Amino acid sequence: MKGLKTVLQDWEAVIGLEVHVELTTLNTKMFCACPISYGDDPNTHTCPVCLGMPGALPVPNRAAIESIVLAGLATGCSIQKRSMFYRKNYFYPDMSKNFQTTQGPIAFCMHGAIDLEIPHTAATVPRAGMPERDAYTAHIGITRIHLEEDAGKTVHVGGTDGRISGATYSLLDYNRCGTPLIELVTEPDLRTPEEARLFLQKLRQVFLTLGISDCSMEQGSLRCDGNVSLRRYGAAQFGTKTELKNMNSFKNLHDGLTFEICRQAEVLEEGDAVRQETRHWEPAAKRTITMRVKETADDYRLFPEPDLAPYDLSDEFIEAVRARLPELPDAKKRRYVSTCGLPTSDAAALAGDVELSRFFDEALTAQPALAKPIANLLLNEVSAWLNAHSVEGLTLVSGKVTPAALAELAKLTADGTISSHQGKEVFALMAATGDTPARIVEERGMKQVSDAGAIEQIVSDILAANPQKVEEYRSGKTGLRGFFVGQAMKATQGQGNPQLINEIITKKLEG
Amino acid sequence: MAVGFEYPDLSVAAIRAGLAAHDFSAREVAQAAIARVDALDPQVHAFLEPTPELALAAAERIDAALAGTDAHNAADASAAATHNTALDSLGPLAGVPIAFKDNMNQLGTHTTCASLMLKDYTAPFSATCVERAIAGGGLPLGKLNMDEFAFGSSTETSAFGRTYNPWDLERVPGGSSGGSAASVAAGMVTVALGSDTGGSIRQPASFCGVVGMKPTYGVVSRYGVVAFGSSLDQVGPFGRTVADIAATLDAISGRDLRDCTSQEVTTCFTDYLERGVAGMRIGIVSALTDAPGIELEIVTATHQAVKRLESLGAHIVEVELPNAAAALAAYYVIGPCEAFSNLSRFDSVRYGYREPDAADLGEQYEQSRAHGFGPETIRRIMLGSYLLSSGVYDTYYYPAQQVRTLITQDYQRAFEQVDALITPVSPRTAFRFGEIADPTSMYLSDIFTIPINIAGNGGLSLPVGLGETSGLPVGVQIIGPQFSDENIIQVAAALEATYDIRRRAPLEAGIHASIEDRLGTPLKAPTQASAEGGRQ
Repeated sequence: MKGLKTVLQDWEAVIGLEVHVELTTLNTKMFCACPISYGDDPNTHTCPVCLGMPGALPVPNRAAIESIVLAGLATGCSIQKRSMFYRKNYFYPDMSKNFQTTQGPIAFCMHGAIDLEIPHTAATVPRAGMPERDAYTAHIGITRIHLEEDAGKTVHVGGTDGRISGATYSLLDYNRCGTPLIELVTEPDLRTPEEARLFLQKLRQVFLTLGISDCSMEQGSLRCDGNVSLRRYGAAQFGTKTELKNMNSFKNLHDGLTFEICRQAEVLEEGDAVRQETRHWEPAAKRTITMRVKETADDYRLFPEPDLAPYDLSDEFIEAVRARLPELPDAKKRRYVSTCGLPTSDAAALAGDVELSRFFDEALTAQPALAKPIANLLLNEVSAWLNAHSVEGLTLVSGKVTPAALAELAKLTADGTISSHQGKEVFALMAATGDTPARIVEERGMKQVSDAGAIEQIVSDILAANPQKVEEYRSGKTGLRGFFVGQAMKATQGQGNPQLINEIITKKLEG
Repeated sequence: MAVGFEYPDLSVAAIRAGLAAHDFSAREVAQAAIARVDALDPQVHAFLEPTPELALAAAERIDAALAGTDAHNAADASAAATHNTALDSLGPLAGVPIAFKDNMNQLGTHTTCASLMLKDYTAPFSATCVERAIAGGGLPLGKLNMDEFAFGSSTETSAFGRTYNPWDLERVPGGSSGGSAASVAAGMVTVALGSDTGGSIRQPASFCGVVGMKPTYGVVSRYGVVAFGSSLDQVGPFGRTVADIAATLDAISGRDLRDCTSQEVTTCFTDYLERGVAGMRIGIVSALTDAPGIELEIVTATHQAVKRLESLGAHIVEVELPNAAAALAAYYVIGPCEAFSNLSRFDSVRYGYREPDAADLGEQYEQSRAHGFGPETIRRIMLGSYLLSSGVYDTYYYPAQQVRTLITQDYQRAFEQVDALITPVSPRTAFRFGEIADPTSMYLSDIFTIPINIAGNGGLSLPVGLGETSGLPVGVQIIGPQFSDENIIQVAAALEATYDIRRRAPLEAGIHASIEDRLGTPLKAPTQASAEGGRQ
């Protein structure tokens, strides 16, 4: 099979995504007052409504509608004042009513778009026409975002791979049944697996910023299916598409799409036709396999939900939701560049991560003038430390370092109280103990020695004690410089101002 | 049992007065009702599940509350007045025997919808209308027979046997709320609740000579009532007088947070009983009474009612409803579509009839539903399933909704000219069992009632005496503007006062005891036996 880069020289990949997001931050389900929760004992959060008992009726969750309107406003959608719920009829035991309440042709949010900045690196394959190694912007249309309810969970026992075939019995857990879910459908505007990955990451950051979901791909509160087809460059018609499932991480999304594009290219280049089907990505085997072939479209007998009146969202409602919109990643990034003076790459790195940017903004409140040092600490020390400890699932929020403490550390370094070298040490102690930097510095006597007289004396003593090494240095063995600096740092117990020590050594050896 | 009062004809107001005057206790009323059910229901078979213990428990709560107030006010000169206040706090139905159609969930009872599918289903909660009726002081006497899942106009499709019209035990009580109408007509309960999707309260009320009202869609909560057609269903009361209907409506109407289609209703319907109709504009629709297929005695009775209203000072206005003729077609699209989807939940997985030997899930679904549902239910499900399928939807469902809008507009325009409409309820009086075997003819018996469900307005069936040919009860229908159901009460009460007619069927225990083999085990219902013959 050819590689992606080769394939994309001959074929244009057309990718559209369907993204499901559970509104996990809401208190209650879509149509009843049962709490939304995860990991509890099966069937402990159910009532006649979400169990679909005869006679029960749905009452829509206002907060869920506010959430989807937020999502629509944040992704440039036009908010449809008049829309309604529909019933999608199909039989499956985890759907307690045997119909899913969802939306029809008009969703709450229609026709949005996200501008995607693709920061090019040598590793990524650009879309056709885009110069390699250059960044570019892709405009990704959003067809619609609609609101619906999730189904329960079925656990098949006794079969293989948890599938129904061969199972001796199946268990049903309705705790998830009725959880509000938004489904976002993109236009077929994505052209590379990298674009798809970045799109989903950006969407996740937007939704996290809005606070409408915890967007966990591991736990399934953020799920993504991909539709992929190939065509020759310049062709007007789309090729036959396949639908790709089980891409439950950003890497799987990227790798699954990559494999599928290459597989389709091989099929087409051998003169065969791509079959319209649903395929399953197997990350371990690194391949996609046929899940089911759709010969006829499913007939869900969609019709307007008669238990829920059509919606007529008022301007006041929409404006009240708009007023709640937080600063979104794109706007944050612009502010970090224009107001804080950060380099674009740093601004993008901070703004593209809801936790980092929230932490940064709070630290900035404490030390408004120290944007750059704070950003540096976050993007270097903090990120490195988090990466090193990620196995324990530690996050900024759960860590012991507060934004104010980080700002204080930045200040201590910036005003020369401690050296940047000491700064790293202090941060490690902060993260481990939760102590404030001032306390750590004080308790350990970590003051930077910037007294030129004192340092000069120390350097003179070192040079006097090592006449042979001084001679060697002066005859050209300049690598010995590090030895002298090290000796000076040792003599100051690591608290000497490195810059000052360097200057004085240079002056004394070469002066 | 010796009782110092004549129970079967007691009205809501008479019970109230009797309790207030210590003429009898709520417990005595409950005991009289239980005795009456025991004596007459073997002939009528209105009840699927009598609940004497629940009625007695409710009665005791009322008596205890009244006794508590009495003791507290023993030394008080104004004790009698205080007693009335205590009654008021007990609600508009204090001490009133009531029963519920068996599609209404009531904690502690089964909710069978007269279907084998739900034969053993126990209600896990109470419907709002049931809750409010009991909270309003009602004594719950039991659950009432109906057409299976309310599909029918004769109560013949019940899986648990037919209900007999107390006026003539060889005839149907109408349907689908046949048990509700018959229980009130036989004097077993004072009032009953039914549900009406296309005439299921009004038609049986007219067949059994009692008052039955379907309020405007949204006046009574549907929460806990097993849905047939969600956009058409409405709960309403049966009673022997308009006053009893008004009191029941006062107890059960109003916004319910659990049904988002229910509306705020603050009207006290009882306040509209004695306002008369002088100066009111009442509409008639000649095209309806001139329609072919309507019995002459029905036309005559309707005309006489109009004359009486005119003589009471009402202005009679001819109005037109040009699209009403299309209502039946629209109804038999919208109703089955909603029913198809609403009944999907009966899949035998967690509750309900389950075929024991199914090989897999698909077979379990198919066989359990094929055998758990009766033929009329299956007919409606198949009809809805077809009408909603892709390609067909645009041809039927969408136009049906457009027709619905046109009909709704017809009524809106009509009610710009009048305060109420008067029409027949049913083209004929109660028919004999099995007399109408063809489903389409059965569907046609609802032509006067269906347009009101399509438009969403309220309608009431008022008995106006016995037909001059059939000798059976005839009703007229009073229709009001949306959410002006008090107009209906006002007109019906005024018209009712001009008739000196029997309010209760002339049926007493034992008289008709030999008529039929109606006491067979419930599952061997005549209609089911023929349909299920192949698998028994």
